[in-house]
Formats: sequence, structure tokens, C-alpha cells
Amino acid sequence: MADKVSFLILEKSYVIRSGLLQIITDFPETGKVYELETRKNLHKTLKKENPDVLIVNAKLTDDIPDFITVIKEKNKNIKSVVFAGTKRANDNFPGFDLKISVDEAKNDIIEKLKKLIRSIRPEISEDTNELSEREKDIVKQVALGKTNKEISEILFISIHTVMTHRKNITRKLGIKTVSGLTVYAILNNLIKIDETKPYG
Amino acid sequence: MLISENTKLAEVILQNYHLIPVVSRFGIELGFGDKTAGQICEKYGIDKVFFLEIINAFNDKSYLPYKKLREMPLSVTVDYLLKSHRYYNKVKLPLIEKLIEQLKWTGNADKKNKDVLKTFFARYRKEVNDHTANEEQNVYPYILELEKNYYAETPDADFTKRLNDKSISYYADIHDELNTSLSDLKNIIIKYLHPADNKEITEQILTEIFRLEKDMTDHTKLEENVIIPVAKKMEDKLKRKIN
Repeated sequence: MADKVSFLILEKSYVIRSGLLQIITDFPETGKVYELETRKNLHKTLKKENPDVLIVNAKLTDDIPDFITVIKEKNKNIKSVVFAGTKRANDNFPGFDLKISVDEAKNDIIEKLKKLIRSIRPEISEDTNELSEREKDIVKQVALGKTNKEISEILFISIHTVMTHRKNITRKLGIKTVSGLTVYAILNNLIKIDETKPYG
Repeated sequence: MLISENTKLAEVILQNYHLIPVVSRFGIELGFGDKTAGQICEKYGIDKVFFLEIINAFNDKSYLPYKKLREMPLSVTVDYLLKSHRYYNKVKLPLIEKLIEQLKWTGNADKKNKDVLKTFFARYRKEVNDHTANEEQNVYPYILELEKNYYAETPDADFTKRLNDKSISYYADIHDELNTSLSDLKNIIIKYLHPADNKEITEQILTEIFRLEKDMTDHTKLEENVIIPVAKKMEDKLKRKIN
């Protein structure tokens, strides 16, 4: 399964931090979120946790030239979001991937962040949940009551590959148990109800 | 909201309907009038501390009452767990099963969809039944015996002999799997089942599954955070005492 997207929020104000946290935890792709009040442990945290996204208040970047450039030299793939207060809402922040401002409507902020997240993890975008033909073969075998080993022999693939397929199937369908996959297979005409032993 | 003995029970239920079956499990019937939680407990002879801890824990995810619950006799918690088993097996599961039976589709889909759902659910119901039966016949009696011997001046020799090769960790079997099946069923109905002609029944089924899932999650939390750690501690101390 694709890893979730991790965030680091650097923001002094508790109220703003909670607001940002609230917005990003609403995304299904969001994984760990680290919070910092000051820059004190910033570089240590960046190094240790290597977050996918850094959200930082513009005020905390002003007095350091090349603030974001320096970070990007070490955390090469990090996406940077600058959070601007009312006065700075129209400023440009070179080097940052995205700007959000305190005056923006909720929907606008969400749309912007969603786009950013999708660009980081294109594989977890919404429309890839359809099973591939190979995955359908696997579901069919699982529903017929076959073990991973048997499936690997029937389809001439390694057990490891079977397991990877099964993980992806579960992620795509949201169904974990064999009984659940059997129901799915029958409902989608991958197998007939009387083909399964326990269901016959 | 923190529920105290002075909180009116009617307000508690108005605010969170998930607590209806929980309250009912204590034998409390609706029609509370303006009675407070404390008054109701007195009326029904319910342990006030236990009652408040349970409803607070189930009402608010961030409420951590386990310390207090761990200080109470395990028999009180076991008694509550037994009542929730009865509720799953005798009330909720038969209800959902009956609802599935009522679903209707036009044409051939009817038999196929109903059969597949019924088979899935019958198997799930059996899983829950087996699981709870095992707890009732093996785990809970063991816990009660353990508690009795833990407080006894001279523990029963027969019991202590068995203690060395028995442990609550064997029973630390958790309801997770049962909840996974429920979650699968939710996904199937929401995403993959062709809509039934009587969609109000489908909605009812889903609502019942969500409620059951929540109740079972709370049930598991009690086992994991109260029963297992307390029993473990008793076992360790008892073993040290006799060895």
C-alpha cells in the first residue's frame, strides 16, 4: 500500500496550528502530522522524520534568507507550503510550492492542498480503485477457497506476488476477509455462487 | 460532555443515542423523568462508579477511565460483558438477519444477492456465537476463579496447579476479526451491492451495522484495557506467591 503523506506544521499560534491540523487530517491520504511551535527543532525533525510536506508560517521565514532553499537542499522531495497572514496575503514567496493565506475560504484551501497531495502520491488518486484483470483472477481464486500457495501454482506467479496483489485488492476494495472477497466475487460474477464450497 | 452522578440521564441519552443499549444493559428502562444518573443507579441497585465510568468511556473517546475500572472487581466488568454478549446474539444479530431476509430485488438478482448476503451473515453470526460462547464457557469462569483465588487467604491448590500452564494471554484473543467482517459487509453494501428495490431496508441494515460495530469496539476496549491487564497482574502475583 502506498505510504500516507506526512506533514510538518511549523506555526507558533496554537489556534492556527489546530486549524491547519483540522484541515489536513480530513484528507484520507494524510498520515503522520508533526507539529512545531518554533524553529528550534526544525532541522532535527526534518532530518529524522523526513516529512512529505512542510507547512510554515511566513513570519517564521522572513528573517532567514533562503529559508526554503536550504531545507530543499537536504529534504529534496519535500513540498513546501507557506501560510501567510492578512498583510502578506498578496506577497510572493519564491521557492515555495504553494501559498495559503488566512483569508482564504475553506474550500479554496482544501482544493489547493488536495492538488498538492495528489502530486505527491498520484497512485492513491481516486480513480485507480478498479481491479486489474490479474487482480480479478486472484479474487476469483481466493473466493474459490484457494490458499496463497495454491494460487501461485495455478497462476504461475510467486507467493510474494500473490501477497502483493492481495494487499492491493484489499486496499482498492476495502474488503479484508476471505468471506467478504467471496461475496464481492459472486456479486461481480467472477464466480458462481455454487462454485464455492462453503457457499454451495 | 462529562457525565456525573448529578447529570440527568435523559439529557445523556438525548445527547448520544449510542448509549441507549448500554443503559438498557444495566436493566434501566426508559421513562427516566428528571432523575439523575445517581438517582437511577440507586433505584436499580447499580454500582454508581462502574456505571458512570462505562457511560463516560463509551460517550467520549478521549475519556480514560480504565484506571478506576481496573480497581473494581473483575466480576462487575464480566457481568457487563456477558450482558452485551446476550445483546449481540439475541437482539442485534437476529435483527440484522431478519432485515437481510426482507431485502428485495427484481428478477434473478433477488435470489443471488439474498443468498450471498445471508450466507455471509450466517457465517458471521456463527463466528460471534462461537467467540462469545468460548469466552462464557472458558475465559470468564477462569477470570472469576482467578479473582476469587487472588483474594483468598489460601488459594485453592487445584487452581494454582493449573495456573502455571494457563494464562489470560491465551485468551487475549480480540474481537478485531469480528469487526473486520462487519467492516467488509459495510463496504460491500455501500460500494458493490446492486441497490435493492426496498432501499429503506438497506439503510436500516447499514445503520444497525454501524451501531453494532461501535458497541463491539467499546466491548473490546473493556477487555483489552480492564480484563486482560488486571487478570495478568493477578496471575503474576499469584504465581509469585505460590512458587
